[in-house]
Amino acid sequence: MKTEIKHADKCTTISVSGSVDALTAAELGKNVAAQIAGEHVNLIMDLSGLEFMSSAGLRTLLGAVKETRSHGGDLRIVSTNPGIDKVLKMSGFHNIAKVFTSQAEAAASFE
Amino acid sequence: MLNYFRVKRQPEKVVPDLGAISVSMLEGDAHLPFTIRQLNNLPEAVKRRVYRGLIPPNLLTRFGIDPIHWTGANKAPLVFLKAEANSEKVLITAQSSPDIKDEFFALELADNSLNGVELNLVVLNDPTTPRYSIDTTEDGQPTMFGTLKRNIEAEEQAMHAGLAPGQVRAGLGGSRVVFEQLDAFLSMLGHRAYFLEPLTYASAWVFERRGFAYVRGHKLMDDIQRGFQVGGSLHQSLDDGFVFRKPDQASTVRGRAWAIHDGILDTLDLRWDKIRMVKQIGRHAGVETFPQAVY
Amino acid sequence: MTSTHRITRAAHLESLDDFRKFLKEHCAPHAGITAEILYDLQLAVDEACTNIITHGYAGMDPGSIILDLEIDASKIGISITDFGHAFEPKSMPTPDVEASIEEREFGGFGLFFIQQTMDEMNYRTTEDGNTMLLTKHIINPTGD
Repeated sequence: MKTEIKHADKCTTISVSGSVDALTAAELGKNVAAQIAGEHVNLIMDLSGLEFMSSAGLRTLLGAVKETRSHGGDLRIVSTNPGIDKVLKMSGFHNIAKVFTSQAEAAASFE
Repeated sequence: MLNYFRVKRQPEKVVPDLGAISVSMLEGDAHLPFTIRQLNNLPEAVKRRVYRGLIPPNLLTRFGIDPIHWTGANKAPLVFLKAEANSEKVLITAQSSPDIKDEFFALELADNSLNGVELNLVVLNDPTTPRYSIDTTEDGQPTMFGTLKRNIEAEEQAMHAGLAPGQVRAGLGGSRVVFEQLDAFLSMLGHRAYFLEPLTYASAWVFERRGFAYVRGHKLMDDIQRGFQVGGSLHQSLDDGFVFRKPDQASTVRGRAWAIHDGILDTLDLRWDKIRMVKQIGRHAGVETFPQAVY
Repeated sequence: MTSTHRITRAAHLESLDDFRKFLKEHCAPHAGITAEILYDLQLAVDEACTNIITHGYAGMDPGSIILDLEIDASKIGISITDFGHAFEPKSMPTPDVEASIEEREFGGFGLFFIQQTMDEMNYRTTEDGNTMLLTKHIINPTGD
């Protein structure tokens, strides 16, 4: 799993590629925690580069939503992979946080 | 709807506790497994007949032993069965001559606490090859295959003769047939699997090739494989500092086994301990923790 | 024509990727196995194996996980066998996917995802291990 961080005015984007499973989810969690610790609390998680995500990844995302909100920020998801979409849909993630199909739309939601 | 699983901490006996084998039991469910103890409580003649099925016939005929009478030249008994009433173990040994030093086959099975079957011992030796006394110290103490004490000089000679740790003689070969026979025997008894604890890294490798998977210790085998790669901590410990720490030992099963026998796993803060393997009868697990290994 | 394949790996998290690759490699030649079906299979296997690794072999040097794959024209069968602690099926309320974030518990989704993605699921413990059996039907592309 690889992550790429991009800072913008109103939000920070973490782009993830590879797979987020029980092995790699912790590393993603650390990345998120580091951003929040650096006071980047409006986060976009771009999952469109992911090949695979399991419930372990979902748990990390849920944790990230909780953490960003408790620090006065929020989390948006960008997802274009049908498999990842299915995991989000099965878990009802759309009821928790907003999911977009492009970084631009996600960023605009922070305006 | 099934929603979650809870871990069962206490394993159940998969083979139930049953009494002696009676004719009515034999006439009953043909799928119920029997234990070694139940077999051992059968009349002598029945035991003898049943346990004949543990040895591949051509292993005996190879040494001129009659597979039905278990005798050799001059009607000398050369195959011995130890299957005492009420014992949970059975031991079969075979010799190529009346001299016990010419033992070429030994196999011991035992019931475990869940009424499954353990393979406690399997030895296939070539009696025509030199014998190395790795099993006794210089003053005659038993070494328990080098696990309790060690006869370093004998081990060094054995290693240079191409033996693996724990072997007193070169192997006979033909273990595939012995294990196929064992699968068939245990299937006849009604079992679906049996278990063992490999004595050495070399034996674990042999068992992998015979189709065994790991109940415990698969990760250890993977860690060992990684450690013996160039740059790994086990590879680095093969520093030529001792006869069992030569650098070229990393590249062979036997070489690694000797280094492990000599304690090299201390570098990883690990021990050759508690490895447990399982053979699903009629199936080959396809485990290869040391791909393209040279024995 | 049924094709069968088997892979055995140590029960540690590093093996999860091997199992996903194995499924991808052997499902690829079958036109009827769509990307969605493949993801479902990978997800179910990943969740089942994670359970085994995290709970089944907890507290011991892990043994093996044996994954068997059987593909025929109408369905895919997967069996996942391990030799750790047996699991006991229990009922509890389905993870509440509609709850707000404040009420949500973490975890509990693994088995739920297996049930959502697979058509049949069975679990048994026998002398030769604990085995989870999963079945996924393939919709015949010719529409039979």
